[in-house]
Amino acid sequence: MKILSRFWWILPIIFIAIYPFTLGGNSPYKSGVLIFVGIYIILAVSLDLLIGYCGQISIGHAAFFAVGAYTSGILTAKYGVHPMFAMLIGMLISTALAWATGRPVLALKEYYLAMATLAFNEIVITLIIGLEGFTGGASGLGDIPPFKIFGFSLVNHIHYYYFVWIIVFFIIAGSLAVVKSSFGRTLIAIHSDEPAARHFGIDSPRYKTRLFMLSSAFASIAGSLYAHYMGFIAPDDFGVISSVNIMVMLYLGGIGTIYGPILGATFMKILPEITYQFQDYELLINGIILIIVLVFMPKGIYGIILKAINRVLRKV
Amino acid sequence: MKGSNDYILWVDNVIKTFEGIHALEHVSFGVKKGHIKALIGPNGAGKTTMLNAISGLLPPDSGSVYLNNQQIAGLTPDRIALLGLSRTFQLVRLFTINNATVLDNVLLGAHKHLNPSIFEAMFYRGRMKRKENEAKERALNLLKFVGLEGAEDALPGTLSFGNQRLLELARSLMTEPKLLLLDEPASGLNDAEVESFIKLLLAIRDKGITILIVEHNMKVVMKIADDIIVLDFGKKLAEGTPEEISKNQQVVEAYLGTQKNSCKVEK
Ligand SMILES: Nc1ncnc2c1ncn2[C@@H]1O[C@H](COP(=O)(O)OP(=O)(O)OP(=O)(O)O)[C@@H](O)[C@H]1O
Ligand SMILES: [Mg+2]
Repeated sequence: MKILSRFWWILPIIFIAIYPFTLGGNSPYKSGVLIFVGIYIILAVSLDLLIGYCGQISIGHAAFFAVGAYTSGILTAKYGVHPMFAMLIGMLISTALAWATGRPVLALKEYYLAMATLAFNEIVITLIIGLEGFTGGASGLGDIPPFKIFGFSLVNHIHYYYFVWIIVFFIIAGSLAVVKSSFGRTLIAIHSDEPAARHFGIDSPRYKTRLFMLSSAFASIAGSLYAHYMGFIAPDDFGVISSVNIMVMLYLGGIGTIYGPILGATFMKILPEITYQFQDYELLINGIILIIVLVFMPKGIYGIILKAINRVLRKV
Repeated sequence: MKGSNDYILWVDNVIKTFEGIHALEHVSFGVKKGHIKALIGPNGAGKTTMLNAISGLLPPDSGSVYLNNQQIAGLTPDRIALLGLSRTFQLVRLFTINNATVLDNVLLGAHKHLNPSIFEAMFYRGRMKRKENEAKERALNLLKFVGLEGAEDALPGTLSFGNQRLLELARSLMTEPKLLLLDEPASGLNDAEVESFIKLLLAIRDKGITILIVEHNMKVVMKIADDIIVLDFGKKLAEGTPEEISKNQQVVEAYLGTQKNSCKVEK
């Protein structure tokens, strides 16, 4: 039991590692589902840093997802830039944007902050649609080549699957390291009571902006991974609806836990794969399940699982 | 006077108005290094407003505040904190999100020593852990010092009000302040607790930390204060030693008198 509680995280890693050879078989579709899960885990976890730990409600997270996707898409499809560089440039642009907007935007509170981030998302989408010659406009951007690493093209979906998941694990590990450190404690102080936190020498605008930069860089990576996997991207993938979806994954899984958004993203991406057989009722069933979880499980899926584990442990 | 090195804090002609309410009107006073100075006055006299003006929470409309001869009025609270000032709050303000523990709260006081960065958290975990462990040891010692030994893993919300105040005190001490502002720290303590609290304050002063304390409990004030300032309706009514203040007719009428009438000794 002790071993299990210390090394439980090896189990999901083993599962991810053997999935393409077992459950997933050799089907591009089945590994594709898990590639999406991975990409959305990055988005939901990075949003958890911002909302769950620092208390900064953003409804514009997909804007940085878009910046990553379009930077990678445009640079590789039109200018033949190496995908690795394109991804790094996307991260740089996203962090720079977060740095430039962080202070004024994060100085706002609650609804105002939510509205400002939502507007930011809309501005990015409007720019993408407007700069048609560059971005392909509303009809989308195609011909994005597969990812390449050290001269090795990841055309094979299984290779790409492993590449994505390695990045996912690094981002989860990085996020956990941040929230469990004294940096994370600083975020919690800002979340709890920002004016009081400042009395302990915490320059809160600076800390909020730094975290915003990290969160945006992660979302940008997710965007790059998405663009190279799809080969085609359109503004619809990155609108406010997409931001709201990421938020739903986060709240569904349980905010302020890192593990919660992982479960939430997995759940939200797998659920349609199960309910698609109900065809016309698919959306309805998804909606009902969502409402049930959100209403009856305020601490999300992660909260339920923790409770169950504690109950079992007490009996043992 | 403000140029004198005897004073760690010098407040000069401070004015603060809230939508027509003159919360502070031309108030000036100093706090001598190593002293315990008490700030007293009836309810609504402007005591908390004065502490807020000094700590930067709500900066004064005009006037100056000098900490060690450096002008701090208008600086943000974090800048002022880095210059060696710390405070507690009349209505306790502890950090509670994400199950933050008593120890977490005290460790936050070490923020300026830890000065954490994302880069360090991700790539220099060993170094960060070492700094953190040093801080942890200091935090546990401080919890013991204020009388909260063994409570480090508790959630702040589960502590009694008196103990939450002691926790705030430990958190402030963790910043290694030169000047400590306390806003009614003894309210919510019973008589026995008040006695040990008095000893605690004297021990803090003996560590070389100067204290400016707002306190309603006159027993505490008379026992510990080197010096007292009295506010009434935002104005300075009197200033002097405990003996002088207790003999001051104006003070007795304005403050001590009303205190008896309203039975407002402590909440
Ligand atoms: N943030 C604020 N906004 C508006 N008015 C305020 C604010 N803070 C204080 N005041 C007003 O300023 C006056 C002084 O209040 P203050 O809290 O400083 O009194 P106090 O001496 O600390 O009283 P108490 O003994 O009740 O704590 C009061 O009239 C109060 O209503
Ligand atoms: Mg007060």
